Amino acid sequence: MLKFLKQVGDYAKESFQAAKYIGQGLSVTFDHMRRRPVTVQYPYEKIIPSERYRGRIHFEFDKCIACEVCVRVCPINLPVVDWEFNKAQKKKQLNHYSIDFGVCIFCGNCVEYCPTNCLSMTEEYELSAYDRHELNYDNVALGRLPEKVTLDPMVTPLREFAYLPKGVMEPHDLPKGAQRAGKRPEDILEDLKQDKAAAAPVSDDKA
Amino acid sequence: MESGIDLQSSAIQLLVDLGLPSALAKVLWLPLPMALMLVVATVGVLIAVWLERKISAAVQQRYGPEYAGPLGVLQPVADGLKLLFKEDIVPDRADPWLFTIGPAIVVIPVFLSYLIVPFGQNLVVTDLGIGAFLWISLSSVTPIGLLMSGYSSNNKYALIGGLRAAAQSISYEIPLALSVLAIVMMSNSLSTIDIVNQQADHGILGWNIWRQPVGFIIFWISALAETERLPFDLPEAEEELVAGYQTEYTGMKFALFYLGSYVNLILSALLFSVFYLGGWSFPIPVNTLAAWIGVSPDVAWVQVITAAIGITMVLVKTYALVFLAILLRWTTPRVRIDQLLNLGWKFLLPVSLANLLITAGLKLAFPVAFGG
Repeated sequence: MLKFLKQVGDYAKESFQAAKYIGQGLSVTFDHMRRRPVTVQYPYEKIIPSERYRGRIHFEFDKCIACEVCVRVCPINLPVVDWEFNKAQKKKQLNHYSIDFGVCIFCGNCVEYCPTNCLSMTEEYELSAYDRHELNYDNVALGRLPEKVTLDPMVTPLREFAYLPKGVMEPHDLPKGAQRAGKRPEDILEDLKQDKAAAAPVSDDKA
Repeated sequence: MESGIDLQSSAIQLLVDLGLPSALAKVLWLPLPMALMLVVATVGVLIAVWLERKISAAVQQRYGPEYAGPLGVLQPVADGLKLLFKEDIVPDRADPWLFTIGPAIVVIPVFLSYLIVPFGQNLVVTDLGIGAFLWISLSSVTPIGLLMSGYSSNNKYALIGGLRAAAQSISYEIPLALSVLAIVMMSNSLSTIDIVNQQADHGILGWNIWRQPVGFIIFWISALAETERLPFDLPEAEEELVAGYQTEYTGMKFALFYLGSYVNLILSALLFSVFYLGGWSFPIPVNTLAAWIGVSPDVAWVQVITAAIGITMVLVKTYALVFLAILLRWTTPRVRIDQLLNLGWKFLLPVSLANLLITAGLKLAFPVAFGG
């Protein structure tokens, strides 16, 4: 009998605990209702991609030396480099260059290894097309300058969270010239230079 | 208990005064409350769908519908119109008859149950002597329709969804009926009007929620399960069953299921407020308020205000419960089918039986407080 009562008591305790947990969960969801939406209303508003964003690849035809390093470092040997040997100049001459963005995984290895920096990553990510073959960009398409979100008059550019001023949570209606929290890269570089200049005479003395 | 506004007798009286025979006047009056109730139920669904989308969005820190009308209030209308104009597809090798009848059998009993929903002393389609029983028996027709549409779709997901819906509805009907039975026992009547009147005496303190603290939780859990709302939406669990018995449905037939589920949710909330939250009664009895101001509750304008407050109170309570259901949807994870049946048969059923027994004992011991 006692054992049975204990079982009933335990069961009741568990039920109350379950109810308590559901109540805690409800308080969380209720609290979320008064928070501001984080929505970016896409075609009208767009997030500004960060500097290191890996979007569509840009290609400069005249810089390319047709070394095919990009093909070798590519996980699937994707770039197509069409060149022929120019006997008069004793140089490789590039005819065509293409990357199929329907297959590319935007890993950026080609950009990393290109010896002449003729490849670079842009902030373009809107690559939708009606036919997947349209995504096979040739050297003309690859050479187009990327469109910037900030220059499109139809679009309200929004900064990402890390690029907002200190204490600001909302990217809308920032005052003009509002800077992000922390130092800008050029300031950090300047500081480094000054630090070095300050440290240099000391190290000279020791030497 | 004063009678308040009686629209039926005054309307019939008006028609008779115009020179119509009283039988004809009654026939002319009859369809009006029914049509009104259909409109109320449908508009209620539109509001509930809009609330569901807006509140879900707020909980997830989104905006929700914004462009269709101010704050997106016309979004459910737009959804409905879209479904109305969609092609009506019956899958190949489905049973066309069962497939077509299924949604109707699901929806009709739910709408029929609105017969017994009171918005005031006389603001009800019919004051049936078996009101609560009618609702419970009508709600057990629904699983037949669900099983029908699941079985006739010629689709394994639909079949499993239909079977789950039937299992769920049948197992949760029993605790639901038992918790309603405890209420019925306290008010000595199955009529929804009598149930509200029995709670009306002491304002908010007289509501059944204080006398049935266990019953109302059981009722709410079972009602959520009956309406297939989120901790218990197994029949249409989209991660495992695509959309359950609705998988093969499009157009108007799907719209019927959609409508039915929301009408059912609002119906459950309405009946919850009738059974446990005192229906149309204000937290402080309106008669007491009138007495404080020094106005007789029989004056015409006071009665109009009383009726308006009553309707508002019912709607406020109902939509507060709908809000709770939506919040619960985003709070609780879905239970497994074995957990669902365990909860229904091993927890809610014994607890509701014990609740019924204790209520019976309390009724014998304290007939004053528990409606002797």
